[in-house]
Amino acid sequence: MKRYNVAIVGVGGQGLLTLGALIGDACSLVGQDVSVAEVHGMAQRGGSVIVHVKLGEEPSPTIPLGSADHVIALEVLEAARYATYAKKGAIISLNDFLWPPPLSTYPSKDAVIGALRERGFRLYLLDANGLSAKYTGSPISANIAMLGFALGVDPEFRGIISVEAVEKALSTRFRGRAFEVNRQVLMAAYEEGLRVAGE
Amino acid sequence: MDREHPLLKPRGSRVLLLGNEAIARGALEAGICVATAYPGTPSTEIVEVLSEVADSCGVYVEWSVNEKTAFETAYAASITGVRSLVAMKHVGLNVAADILMSSAYSGVEEGFVVVSADDPSMHSSQNEQDNRWYGLIAHVPVLEPSNPREAYRLIKYAYELSAKYKVPLIFRSTTRISHTRMPINLDGDIPVKRMCRGVFIHDPERWVLVPSHARTRKAVVSKTWREIAANEYNELLVKTINPGCKKAIVASGVAYSYVKEALELMNALDKVTVLKVNMPVPLPRKPVAELLEYAEEILVVEELDPVVEVQLKDIAISIGAKVPVRGKDLIPENYELSVERVYNPVASFLGVERSKQWGEVEFIKTDPPIPPRPPTLCPGCPHRLTYYVVKVSANRAGLRNVIYTGDIGCYTLGYLKPFETQSTCFEMGGSIGVAHGLAKVVENPVVAVIGDSTFFHAGIPPALNAVYNDSKIVVLVLDNMTTAMTGHQPHPGTGKTAMGKAVARTLPERVLESLGYEVYVINPLKTRDAIEAVTSAFEKYKSGVRVAIVSRMACALEAARKARRSGVKLPVLRVVEEKCTGCMACVRLIACPAILVEPGSKKPKIMEDFCVGCMLCAHICPYKAITVKNVPTNGWDKLWWEP
Repeated sequence: MKRYNVAIVGVGGQGLLTLGALIGDACSLVGQDVSVAEVHGMAQRGGSVIVHVKLGEEPSPTIPLGSADHVIALEVLEAARYATYAKKGAIISLNDFLWPPPLSTYPSKDAVIGALRERGFRLYLLDANGLSAKYTGSPISANIAMLGFALGVDPEFRGIISVEAVEKALSTRFRGRAFEVNRQVLMAAYEEGLRVAGE
Repeated sequence: MDREHPLLKPRGSRVLLLGNEAIARGALEAGICVATAYPGTPSTEIVEVLSEVADSCGVYVEWSVNEKTAFETAYAASITGVRSLVAMKHVGLNVAADILMSSAYSGVEEGFVVVSADDPSMHSSQNEQDNRWYGLIAHVPVLEPSNPREAYRLIKYAYELSAKYKVPLIFRSTTRISHTRMPINLDGDIPVKRMCRGVFIHDPERWVLVPSHARTRKAVVSKTWREIAANEYNELLVKTINPGCKKAIVASGVAYSYVKEALELMNALDKVTVLKVNMPVPLPRKPVAELLEYAEEILVVEELDPVVEVQLKDIAISIGAKVPVRGKDLIPENYELSVERVYNPVASFLGVERSKQWGEVEFIKTDPPIPPRPPTLCPGCPHRLTYYVVKVSANRAGLRNVIYTGDIGCYTLGYLKPFETQSTCFEMGGSIGVAHGLAKVVENPVVAVIGDSTFFHAGIPPALNAVYNDSKIVVLVLDNMTTAMTGHQPHPGTGKTAMGKAVARTLPERVLESLGYEVYVINPLKTRDAIEAVTSAFEKYKSGVRVAIVSRMACALEAARKARRSGVKLPVLRVVEEKCTGCMACVRLIACPAILVEPGSKKPKIMEDFCVGCMLCAHICPYKAITVKNVPTNGWDKLWWEP
């Protein structure tokens, strides 16, 4: 049985739940079983968040450590924190954005990216906040951008759910202009993903 | 809009539903006409999603002021023959425990299900109590699904069981059921014809629990309890998978999904009999007794407490079985389970190779290390402004060594530096009761800090008690005009119900005034005025006046959302490089996530994308180096002041 685990990590408020739900919707549309485990409430208030997306037949809710095939990270420090969930050689799609917790001391973006590369992950960077701002004026759609980008860089992922299925899922969660703008963000990031992965 | 609502899709549809939505849909199919709750993570979306479809389904849905009143409302419907649901988080059932016990004695006329959403690992809770025990205390059956898909099917059956035995029933979910999404094939429709009008039959021997009636009812409770344990064991409640093996695993609720996946990973599905339990209380006797006959060793896997384990051992002793039963000696008792926490105990039990995989995973090391990121107050959060105002005012009024007792809500995060305006946090409403007790035994000034929704939930009786028993405390209500932590549900102070009906608005200051407090209402967005008002309130307090403060300002998430939707431009602030001396007052005093200091930089920077214009940093800056960068829409501040 085919199993594929995607960990979505970032800071509460960055739209991680929507990102997870969109993958879930797209799976549902193409008849792929999936489970998407989230946290709500206190855990979401600017805290560190992981959403466990497990593709496979009736999976248990959470991804075991070292078992994610792909990590979609909306923030650099969180990518490092949750790298323990990634398999050896896993793909990490990383938003080129470091958001330090208030009153903290923290390593530079380059230091974190270097440490991740050293671990042998296949790291792909996208300025998702910038891409979102280009279409929406703010980073609000960075989550959608990261999903498009992740599909673009990962043939195995898009072999299970196509970007067209995600586009359709998008149309059930967004309407009118919001849908149109998010669709553009999705497709632009997808193309960028294909490009950086050399396809 | 309603027709497209995923909860209303026809039979045969396949929809991605959150566990809580699956529970809501199942309950609708079972024919409920009343659903109530007080919001609490991880239970909230059950009644939230029902409120969205209430009108089109003809279901009455309410956010009650607390779990006790929610329980009473739904229970009342069920004793008149109307199917109902009440949902709450695990600790909410403590608030409703009194009526839970009595409801078991009097029973119901139609299906009544109490959904208890437990929170193993305490993702958003003060404890991780295992509410399956409540079933044993109250003599109420408990059902628990292993995933959201099963939750959908199982809750429908819960109504059949409740109606058949005329008993209330606890449906126990956990965070990983309630907040996990799965595609679900809808195999039923929401019935058009339902019993939505009840008939109350005068029957004091049943509904009036004076001691003599209660004694009679207790005998009924025990008889029904034994019948259920003996006769209810169909595959929805308990299922024996791969029977006849010498080794057997008994797995209850969500623990089954971890066991199943671990067995798949170790290729051991055919090596073991698995008893999948969905009714942990009372544990069905017959399938357990059968298993005890042929199994030579049993491992019980369940999340949190050994509820199934103790019952299974009890059955084993009563039938004279000598099978060794393992359980909490191998399986962790604290925090939620996972495949990796279950894998090695199961492997050891079966005598297959343990996995080293999870021991080898290392954290990424950097210098300095990756800093922790605890939850924090959002940019623009009104609590940040109020805490700043209160601390400055206490200082000005000469209040020293203030103890700030705290409560349950986003504002609990005030325990963090630099605010430290939450020194206790135990349970809903606890801030005021604990403040009162402290004031009786310590000399420090005591300020009880409580949110608006929490005040209505459980803050009024202790506020009254503090007046009646005459203690010297300040009650501070943080009124953001919503139940923010759980996702912005309305409450009595908003003048709106779950179903969107406009009703009378009950303001905290009116309640406090009638209890005997002199109330100061402040708007912390007007920081200077607010400091003046709170300083004089504290001076009054020092002179012996009973004082309460209501700080009213909308939740920043709500204000920002409203601004986005209505095209209102909120102020965006920036640091004027030339004026900034790098004193870091704005960083240290308010810990706003929208202000950062880049590595190597000596001056702070405002992340304009995340700033919502509360202006607190500008107020604080001693060098007036923080200014409004844009031209905000006229009247933007109204968004912060209206519910």
